[in-house]
Amino acid sequence: MGLEFKRRGKDLCLTLSGDLDEYTARSLKAEADRLIEARGFSTVTLDMGGVTFMDSTGLGFVLGRYKKLRGMRVEMLLKNVPPQVDKVFRTSGVYSLIPIVED
Amino acid sequence: MKNHFELKMPSDGVNEGFARGVAAAFCLPLEPTLEQLSDVKTAISEAVTNAVVHAYDGVGEIRLFGELDEDAHTVRFVVEDDGKGIEDVQAALQPFYTTRPDDERSGMGFTIIETFMDDMRVTSSPGSGVRVEMMKVMK
Repeated sequence: MGLEFKRRGKDLCLTLSGDLDEYTARSLKAEADRLIEARGFSTVTLDMGGVTFMDSTGLGFVLGRYKKLRGMRVEMLLKNVPPQVDKVFRTSGVYSLIPIVED
Repeated sequence: MKNHFELKMPSDGVNEGFARGVAAAFCLPLEPTLEQLSDVKTAISEAVTNAVVHAYDGVGEIRLFGELDEDAHTVRFVVEDDGKGIEDVQAALQPFYTTRPDDERSGMGFTIIETFMDDMRVTSSPGSGVRVEMMKVMK
């Protein structure tokens, strides 16, 4: 599970790639939180375009980051959600909390 | 044509991906759509992950069984462990219920299996492990 980041103005964009499951997510949380805690942005966009698979562990990761960012008054957005990931998100109702943005 | 397999593996996180691959490969004779294949991989990932996270303090055995019936267009899987078992199965099946809220667990594992597969049955009692049976029709 790869994590890259890019800052575009007031947005921090985190790009994930590979399979996002319980095993691969173990190191992801620490990496993502390190980037988030650097502060200085008003939105964090999670680009899911390269995610080849995600199960409910990925959901837990996304919701965990959402709660953290909400505490920092930073908005979270989702981008480029592939079909399999979208189905997991829709099943959990995550889009009522975290909107999708187009490029 | 009918087929079946039986697999034993340690409850190591690396086997979540391995189990997904095995289950997907096993379904191929039924010529599943991409979505059907994704559904099976996701459901298997949930059941195996449950065993990896909850069954044992440390590492124990997970067994994965598959059965395929080409004429009936069905595939069945069982994910089984000999771990600590589930105290309250009905509670565990509820969406967002988890015994590990501090671990960022979403509590959606069983809900996803139920939604993505056509049938699911969970059998467990404390100290007696867990058996998750699931089935999908692939027409």
